Amino acid sequence: MKTRTTFSVLLLGVGLLLAGRSVIAHHAFGAEFDPNAPIRLQGKVVRLEWVNPHTWIHIETIKDGKPEIWMIEGGTPNTLLRRGVTRETVKVGTEIIVDGYQTKDHSLKRANGRDVTFTDGRKLFMGSSGTGAPKDGRDPTEGTKKPGGR
Amino acid sequence: MNFTRRSGFRVLLGVVVAAGLASPAIVTLHGQAKPWTMPRTADGKPDLQGIWSNATITPLERPKEYASLVLSAEEAARLEKATADRVERLNQDSDPNRPAPPQGGDGSTGAAGNVGGYNNFWLDPGERVAVVDGQFRSSLIIDPPDGRVPPTTPEARARGQARLKTMAGRGQYDHPEFRPLAERCLLSFGPTTPLVPNYFYNNNLQIVQTPDHVMILMEMVHDARIVRIGGTHLPKHIRPWMGDSIGHWEGDTLVVETTNFPLQQPFRGAAENLKVTERFRRVDATTINYRFTVEDPTTFTRPFTGEIPFRATDELIYEYACHEGNYAMSNVLSGARNEEKRLGTKK
Repeated sequence: MKTRTTFSVLLLGVGLLLAGRSVIAHHAFGAEFDPNAPIRLQGKVVRLEWVNPHTWIHIETIKDGKPEIWMIEGGTPNTLLRRGVTRETVKVGTEIIVDGYQTKDHSLKRANGRDVTFTDGRKLFMGSSGTGAPKDGRDPTEGTKKPGGR
Repeated sequence: MNFTRRSGFRVLLGVVVAAGLASPAIVTLHGQAKPWTMPRTADGKPDLQGIWSNATITPLERPKEYASLVLSAEEAARLEKATADRVERLNQDSDPNRPAPPQGGDGSTGAAGNVGGYNNFWLDPGERVAVVDGQFRSSLIIDPPDGRVPPTTPEARARGQARLKTMAGRGQYDHPEFRPLAERCLLSFGPTTPLVPNYFYNNNLQIVQTPDHVMILMEMVHDARIVRIGGTHLPKHIRPWMGDSIGHWEGDTLVVETTNFPLQQPFRGAAENLKVTERFRRVDATTINYRFTVEDPTTFTRPFTGEIPFRATDELIYEYACHEGNYAMSNVLSGARNEEKRLGTKK
């Protein structure tokens, strides 16, 4: 039981250390997307706008036998570039699944990429700790690293 | 982390360096410590140039359950592991047969605004607890001793109320210029001065020095703050987006004082009379200790001071060209127009 209590306290601590952090961007997503317009889309990537402030993935879906182009909002590409992920990582023609919410302007076929995966459920881009993230010097491989950008 | 790339020697070297975290020494090939010496520019000043990261999981303000500024190594390790575990958890595969998210919103809070934002893999908020002078820190704020931003003054609260009155009858979506500067791609959503991390992504900055200027380029939103060495502040009515910064050297510490902040970019409610004093001190080959003091007697009941380690990174800063791809701005405005039509509230 003692271990369990300690663990709960630890989780609480983590929650509070992370408090105030939620997944956003340079703007509030609640202002852009409609919580009453949830969607699930499946289609092929036709274009990737690898731009700031947000990446937009264009996909072609089929609705009632007719093709539709949807734009899916993601995050900044800069973090992925630092991990070696580029616009070429996901090829045009790759089939993906997106769940999210449509823009409040329903005449636009745009949505947030709340969860973007391949058709087998794998995340489109893998984030991982310790790969290309900013360094703090405690990674043993960084022992003598000098600041770059000269 | 890619352990396969490391040779046994590098691991050994790393352990030795990690063990001597607080001591500014590098280890030579022969395993002998060589004292670190301050790199200097041609004019003899400490060389602060290069790309640095201020990312950390240590929050600006101390969470209530931590009594002390300093965490034990065990506490820090647990927090870092919990952060890494969270990333792993969020990387797990999703159900390919998942339905659309819930009607009425997914319950997400904050800026994810009940619609869930986007996948965690876009984020890069830092993984480590801040270490300053060999101490693991529970908050960036070191003074006041509780590690919290001091209470605001009655004057500041009255100012906030007056601002709300001015906006009465005008919707926040009624004009592009009513939107926050970050949404308009003018400045970052994090503070530009002091250099507090945004806890989301792109917490990188580049310093370039000349004898009479220091430039601090922030990746978010590709903003360069130009610090004049010496001189006096601009007249009060001239308020550049990032305020007016002048600097001087106190021994080997660069001291920068910034005032003349624009009213549209308050830091914790302070702008007009805000003064931020920053101290940049290079302490070893890979670290700048950055200390900031925030003062505004019309907003805070007392000044407060924080410390952040800037760690050297050999990663590149990428351009953050915000205007070009800012579909969000038009989506937000056209969304508001659509809601007005739907609800019959069009003015």
